[in-house]
Amino acid sequence: MEKMNKVIIIDDETLAREIIKKYLLSHNEIEIGAECSNGFEGVKKINELNPDIVFLDIQMPRLNGFEMLELIDNPPVIIFTTAYDQYAIKAFEVNAADYLLKPFSRERFEEALEKAMINLKNKKEQSKIIKELIKHTSNIDEYLERIVVKDGPKIHIIPVDSVKYIEAQDDYVLIHSTEGNLLKQKTMKYFEEHLSPDDFLRIHRSFIVFIPRIKKIELVEKETYKLYLDDGTSLPVSKSGYEKLKKIF
Amino acid sequence: MENHPILSSRRNIYIYFLFWFIIIITNFLLLNLALRLDTSAALGDSLVFNVLFSWLGLSFWYPTRYISFEDTKFYRILLNHIIGAVVVSAFWLLCGYLILIEVLRFDDIYQNFFFSTLPWRFPIGALAYFVITSFYYLIIYYSGFQERKLHEAELKGLITQAELKSLKFQINPHFIFNSLNSMSALTTIDPEKARGMILKLAEFLRYTLANNDRQKNKLKDELHNIKLYLEIEKIRFEDKFDFTEQLSEECLEQEIPNMLLQPLFENAIKHAVYESLEKINVNLSCICENGYLKIEVSNTYDPGLKSKKGTGVGLKNISERLKLIYHQNDLIQVIKENNIFKVLLYIPQKNIA
Repeated sequence: MEKMNKVIIIDDETLAREIIKKYLLSHNEIEIGAECSNGFEGVKKINELNPDIVFLDIQMPRLNGFEMLELIDNPPVIIFTTAYDQYAIKAFEVNAADYLLKPFSRERFEEALEKAMINLKNKKEQSKIIKELIKHTSNIDEYLERIVVKDGPKIHIIPVDSVKYIEAQDDYVLIHSTEGNLLKQKTMKYFEEHLSPDDFLRIHRSFIVFIPRIKKIELVEKETYKLYLDDGTSLPVSKSGYEKLKKIF
Repeated sequence: MENHPILSSRRNIYIYFLFWFIIIITNFLLLNLALRLDTSAALGDSLVFNVLFSWLGLSFWYPTRYISFEDTKFYRILLNHIIGAVVVSAFWLLCGYLILIEVLRFDDIYQNFFFSTLPWRFPIGALAYFVITSFYYLIIYYSGFQERKLHEAELKGLITQAELKSLKFQINPHFIFNSLNSMSALTTIDPEKARGMILKLAEFLRYTLANNDRQKNKLKDELHNIKLYLEIEKIRFEDKFDFTEQLSEECLEQEIPNMLLQPLFENAIKHAVYESLEKINVNLSCICENGYLKIEVSNTYDPGLKSKKGTGVGLKNISERLKLIYHQNDLIQVIKENNIFKVLLYIPQKNIA
């Protein structure tokens, strides 16, 4: 017998999950591993069950579909389902796993499933596509309002205004926030681009600082400056960082 | 201004000739008493010259209208009118002379008097020409001014209208497509319920689209529409929220700007219900007091929620709309405390004590 493909459906609306289940009924080669109604549950189930295909809504409580994908180590084949999301449409124009615009017909659904099956066969390719996709969507999206970090089994959601500063650490960044220090696998460049420039400033190759927390800037020696945060932390300032600081203060 | 300012209204004609009648009397008295001209000569002189000029004066309107200050240089206008004054004055005196002396055959004493006063008469004619012309210019200027004022007021009204239109509620596409998706699912699971939802959505859309032109509606009608919206959301989200209300019959009859409350309920659904894992309570309470209809929309929210703050556009639009409609900028109040998000609106009402 052919290997069964495991599917997870993640959507906060019962009826939206129902229709997918209904369409899947005629597919004997597919079993539904789990249904989730929010992002937290989704991340947990995906990591636990290791599904082949995930139907994923974008707008959901707590963690949206994109934020979820950031937290999954082994992304399965994703079929987005969304009501009206210009970002998703744009993202998939560049790189199609597939997306379904609600409401969708059975024919359209079958098409997406077929594409997903083909993608399953070369999964490596697929995870590359997903990564690309995340990059693109966040590119188009507005500035970040919260940062999601996975810390072992725990998921932290850090509102950007509780961040003190971000420090580069090899392939990671260390996010220093009022809620503790958390490591995330992203680049400084990513944060420089995705945090609002009104609130965040890269003052050094290795430091991005939350502007409202800056207390003072001090001249240490000729052309060398140090920046103090309101909690007393001192951070080095590079020459170009100082130029940028001069512009805002 | 195209019509003759005097001839276009009977009233103005009367006033104009009454004015000339006074001049004729004054002129007659002057000639008769001060210059000792005998009565018939004084009467004839005064009548003929003044009646003549009153007729001529009416015709000055036409050149005045075409020699406008807006598109002619000032010295050209002056030149035109100096020539006009000379020609009119000369023509006026010639006509008067012909009538009085050639036709009515006034005597030599009058003839002598006429010629001796000619150096006076000529500048008086020219001066009268300038006075009447200036009067016409004044009318043109004033009516243009009025028109501009009217036009400005009209424009202002248009701008306000456009602003109000742009601030008005717009149907959220997320809501429409998600609802359609739910219906699509319901058609096979529970066709009766699907039909119910379709009817509700249709009614909601009809009300929302039809009310684009009207500015205000009764709270009763607005509330009916909001309930349709909440019922549709309830089909989508089942037990994720409850709606409660406290209001009096009196409040239901008051008028509020249409679709004013809709964004508040959408916000409650979007920020509290969509984002929460727990059950949310949405509450509406209305009181009529001190000339205001006081509306309070509140919702609980998930305390563990570190979600994105909304953009505040919805609330800002409501505030702007209230400002434009009621010319008051303290009609909205937003309170966030004890895990309750609350918006208070004060809608001025004329019929509440």
